[in-house]
Amino acid sequence: MSLRAFTKHCAVSLLMLISAPAVHAEVSQVQWMKLNQAIVSEHVLPRYEQLALTGQKLEQATQQFCATPDQARLSNTQTLYIDMLNAWQGIQHVQFGPIELLMRSYTIQFWPDKKNLTSKQLNLILSNAEPASLTPEYFQTASIAVKGLPAMERILFSESPLQQLSDNKFHCDFLHAISQNLVKQTQETLNEWLQYQQEFSYIASEEGAYENAQEATIDLMKAQVEPLEIIRDLKLLRPLGKTQKAKARRLENWRSRSSLQNIRTNIQTLHHMFSGPKDYNLYKLLIEEDSAALANNIEQQFISLNELLEELPTPLYKHINDPKIREQLLQATEEINQLHAELDKSMSFLQLQLGFNSRDGD
Amino acid sequence: MGISRRGFTLLLSCGLASSRLLAKQHTKQPASLFASAAQRATGQYELVVVDQHGGVQMSHPLPARAHHIAAHPHQSVLAAVGRRPATFIDVVDYHAQQLVTRIKSAPGQHFYGHAIYTNDGQYLITTENEIQSGNGLIVIRDCRQNYRVIRQFSSHGIGPHELKMMPDGRTLVVANGGILTHPDQGRKKLNIESMQPSLAYIDIHLGELLEQAHMPKEYHQLSIRHFDISPTGNIVIALQYQGTKSDDVPLVAFHSQGQALNFVRAPDAVNAAMKQYCGSARFDSSGEIAAISSPRGNLVTFWHAKQNTFLTSIISRDGCGLANTKQAGEFLISTGRGHCYRFNALTNHKQKIKLRLSSQLAWDNHLADL
Repeated sequence: MSLRAFTKHCAVSLLMLISAPAVHAEVSQVQWMKLNQAIVSEHVLPRYEQLALTGQKLEQATQQFCATPDQARLSNTQTLYIDMLNAWQGIQHVQFGPIELLMRSYTIQFWPDKKNLTSKQLNLILSNAEPASLTPEYFQTASIAVKGLPAMERILFSESPLQQLSDNKFHCDFLHAISQNLVKQTQETLNEWLQYQQEFSYIASEEGAYENAQEATIDLMKAQVEPLEIIRDLKLLRPLGKTQKAKARRLENWRSRSSLQNIRTNIQTLHHMFSGPKDYNLYKLLIEEDSAALANNIEQQFISLNELLEELPTPLYKHINDPKIREQLLQATEEINQLHAELDKSMSFLQLQLGFNSRDGD
Repeated sequence: MGISRRGFTLLLSCGLASSRLLAKQHTKQPASLFASAAQRATGQYELVVVDQHGGVQMSHPLPARAHHIAAHPHQSVLAAVGRRPATFIDVVDYHAQQLVTRIKSAPGQHFYGHAIYTNDGQYLITTENEIQSGNGLIVIRDCRQNYRVIRQFSSHGIGPHELKMMPDGRTLVVANGGILTHPDQGRKKLNIESMQPSLAYIDIHLGELLEQAHMPKEYHQLSIRHFDISPTGNIVIALQYQGTKSDDVPLVAFHSQGQALNFVRAPDAVNAAMKQYCGSARFDSSGEIAAISSPRGNLVTFWHAKQNTFLTSIISRDGCGLANTKQAGEFLISTGRGHCYRFNALTNHKQKIKLRLSSQLAWDNHLADL
């Protein structure tokens, strides 16, 4: 090294020493690609597989129950319904890619149902009892309100489902038709994701879905951050209401007593997305970029929020009006806010713009 | 008309601005490409002017987030309008690189993010909210009198947003979005159940309503926010739906004076992908092709204006700003991720414009071509 170069080198090093810690990380496209691949293969795909698998099991159970309706088969169908619901809650946060196509996400779960469309349209179909409404063709054009998990829940968790479904064969047949539709939706989503996975295997592309790996990361990170707003606003604050009197029927899946389990699964899912994938994850990336404090903060917040949710009693709709429980639920929304703020901080540190116009346009 | 001393000084300053323009052109500065509001990665909001080579010609820090940039027809002057419910407009000379003036809205009023200069460059017209009543206003300011308000009248609706002049130079078209907001409650929408969007044609000389196109009842939650006018007076509208997320509604409409709104739909898959939200509307220079951006759906759709039919669409992640170029069918598209593209809907040729930016920034909703 020449003296001149050496002097320059020293000057630069000195400058780096005295300057404040970096406000932004400079993450390479290779790092983004590594992150994308780990999240897709260890987090996204296994969850779509689980969704498709639970869908198949539910369909088989529904078929067996409708062939010979009895309490044991009903209970089994209800249990497998909860399994599929849980699998959906574990992948519901991904709202891009194949799930976006053909209204699949809404078809699987139309919620919140502010105008009570599921009840209205389902009652109409069940009272008309048209054999044509059991066909796949009918399901192609039918209202999304009657094609997915909420419609099944209404039938399976009605007041006396065994009697209702034994007495009305058509009700059971329609229940089965919905389960078949769910198999189709979830299997097609999985198949297309197995193709779509390729979009996460390059650092830059002219032809691909993403221009570069960072663009793909942005889609994944939206799934990491944005669902917190939905959990807070729709799953907690909306049922809690502004006054002391809560609106328990606004809770998601209150009929199957799954409201709280849904939220627990949602938070555990986001936690897994953050630090679960072994090959690489957002937690590791933040550590690598000298932001251990931020990484550990987020990790701790997930743990704390999870503990808070574990302490709450089920079913939530029975307890939501208890002032102590209300307080805890509001505490949960507060913790969600803090977690959201820390994740936002990490996005800005990593220079990931999740959506300037799309999230806050005018 | 007599000229007051004050008026004379202002006349003089207008004159100075145009001589500066001549001076700059003389020094062979590269021609400007576009202007847009933006946000730096640091969080700072700016008005940025980009030249033909993708270099930054000017960046002017703004007090808060802006929305649309109105370009003066003859001078190197831009008006960066604060985003709803802001109360500022920064008028900037981008050749002189200085703030000409900062306009404040009158007490009890705020801007909606859009403004236009009249064709003769003498007046700046804005859409504003009369906060107490929630009524939409059209406000006219005289550029020669340091943007003093000379007249204001009703926009004939709630939540007026984008405004543009018909080719006759006298008929002002205003998009009354229909959504009531109050600054005390931030950007919260207060009347979603009863909103009534409309497109109002107003005689700017008389302040009189000439015609108003309303949404049919079943689409009353389709907010009319942004539109463009072709050289022949055809209007294309970018709609934003405020109803249930899973509803399947049209998101683009055309309008010709004297007729009803003409809703058009992209093929089902594309219509669904637009995610019920369109951000900007722009005709190409020929007036035959219209572009509509859908930042939530990460795409821009293109339409035949004469046949009112869907032409094509392209992926544009968080893409919202649209401008046309002199080429028929060609548009500039800017994105919230800091990118900018040139796309020709007739040839399907897409080209990324190499920008030379000192740090990452996010382009805001609208582009002004210069």
